[in-house]
Amino acid sequence: MSQRHLLCAISMVLALATTGCDPSGDAGAPAPDSDRVRVALVMKSLANEFFIDMAAGAEAHQAANADSYELLVNGIKNESDLAQQVALVEQMMASQVDVIVIAPADSKSLLPVVARAVNQGITVVNIDNRFDRDLLRGMGLTIPFVGPDNKAGARAVGTYLAQHLQAGDQVAIIGGIPSAFNAQQRLEGFQAAMTAAGMEIVSVQSADWEQAKAAAIAAAILSEHPQLTAILAANDSMALGAVAAVRQAGKQGQVKVVGFDNISAANDLVQSGAMLATADQHGRDLAVFGIEYALSALATGAAPADKKTPVDLIIKGEQ
Amino acid sequence: MKIFTHNVQLPWNSLGLIGVLVLLVILFSIMSEYFFSAVTFRTLVNQIPALTVIAVGMTFVLLVAGIDLSVGSVMALAAAVMGVLIADHQWSFAAALLACLVVGLTCGVCNGYISAHWRIPSFVVTLGMLEIARGGAYLATDSQTKYLGASVAALGDPVPFLGVSTALLIAVAVVVVAQIVLSRTVFGRYMIAIGTNEEAVRLSGINPVTWKVLVFACAGLLAGLGGAFQLGYLQSADPNAGIGLELSAIAAVVIGGTSLSGGRGSVVNSFLGVLIIAVMQTGLAQLGVSEPAKRIITGLVIIAAVLFDQYRDNLGALFKAIRV
Repeated sequence: MSQRHLLCAISMVLALATTGCDPSGDAGAPAPDSDRVRVALVMKSLANEFFIDMAAGAEAHQAANADSYELLVNGIKNESDLAQQVALVEQMMASQVDVIVIAPADSKSLLPVVARAVNQGITVVNIDNRFDRDLLRGMGLTIPFVGPDNKAGARAVGTYLAQHLQAGDQVAIIGGIPSAFNAQQRLEGFQAAMTAAGMEIVSVQSADWEQAKAAAIAAAILSEHPQLTAILAANDSMALGAVAAVRQAGKQGQVKVVGFDNISAANDLVQSGAMLATADQHGRDLAVFGIEYALSALATGAAPADKKTPVDLIIKGEQ
Repeated sequence: MKIFTHNVQLPWNSLGLIGVLVLLVILFSIMSEYFFSAVTFRTLVNQIPALTVIAVGMTFVLLVAGIDLSVGSVMALAAAVMGVLIADHQWSFAAALLACLVVGLTCGVCNGYISAHWRIPSFVVTLGMLEIARGGAYLATDSQTKYLGASVAALGDPVPFLGVSTALLIAVAVVVVAQIVLSRTVFGRYMIAIGTNEEAVRLSGINPVTWKVLVFACAGLLAGLGGAFQLGYLQSADPNAGIGLELSAIAAVVIGGTSLSGGRGSVVNSFLGVLIIAVMQTGLAQLGVSEPAKRIITGLVIIAAVLFDQYRDNLGALFKAIRV
């Protein structure tokens, strides 16, 4: 008898926690009707403000278009947890969604499971980080990529930085996860801008998109290269880490830091002058672009094609 | 030497956990109309083989009052070595699998020997191994995910008609064998004895060092096997795989009622712990619960399950304790 009481207690805790902690409150509340399209947004780390923004943008869009589709948002614990993201795609397949909009944690390793989703008849749209093109072709898949031109964005940031440096100055680049396509693109963009302006790139290292790692790497680079004049970080989390390292080394003003993504903390730093520039790829709208693309593709049955979204340079005085 | 002893495991010990599991399934089925389906359950169980075998190893380690923090890293290292051997050195799948298991076993033997022989807490030794193996995994793969493709899918792909993967079948077999070892062999008895009172074991003329090395060797070998499962599941070797996996494994084992101070535990219950965690993950993902809420709920369920297990023989006392 008392056993049943405890089961009730646990179920109440769980039910309370579910409803109490989920501000969207859609945990089973509206009876899903079959004529609405079911869209799953599979994100990277929901501990990263960039993706939180993206999810918030998508949720706001869904709220405004509630009668045309329902939305399930899921992310992984940390950026590199491939297994969890593969599992998420499988869980979304099991939930029989119509559309999966995915920001893959790796350009290749997510493809086998995504291929299965496509074969099951799910419309898959790739956002943020592009799937490996050669492998896509090899698997006979066409998955549209809706996203920014990371290379051009990084080149714009780098070119702006170069205007504040002198030819021959030493610079260092902190890259994202090396196997990720957007990391490669941003690295290429940075390198192209720096080489074109005649800068000397003394170090290129990866900090896996993470702030703490970037701080440690930047600190090491700063002590290794006392003449360093700039650090180019492939995302703003890492740029924040670099800024912390620069401050600890007492080199504010001597070493300029640029980033990418325009998260709010980085924007504050750009406005205060602690960072020189970042790039805004309209992360908040990125998932929305993907969802709108998928919905229109579903409605019109048009052949999948890539779609470029805007990237803007953010400097002091611009939000 | 007598190998088998009497069964000390009573089946109703698992009833509380099965209750929690059924309850979770019912709750999620009510909240999501897509949860209660064969596809969901097939998907769910095909995701757990690596965690399952690692939790089995962790159960043994906790039984002798040790801990193994290195399992996630060792898994990543073993998978990384296997992936590199296949992708860059054209090794056959079977040969690379063997190498993968040897890597895991070697790490486990090192953990066991260093901690048991020099009497250093296994927490410290395996913390060191956590770093060493992770570094090794980055070194082996050049910090890049090695994509291998369908050539390694044999373990991860579903078996025809059953719908579950070969890896899962192997993992379930490991659970069964490990439970028999624990409850019916001398090795199992010694594990419980060492975890209960190591000094008494020593005084009765049995050398606990040998048995502890064997326990950590099992944990390492199973972490290697988990690496092979993970590699088959992802069709790639990911040097970042299994970060924090040791905590999931410890959580599963503790949910299963294994004591952190040694001497009490059950492999089958650890498996039920793995299932509870997997059901939570899948259910919360299908509901699209926000990430912070997911983690809070998972934490609450871990504590609730252990509380329930603690008082399963005397639920009246639990209510008295709550009221006070």
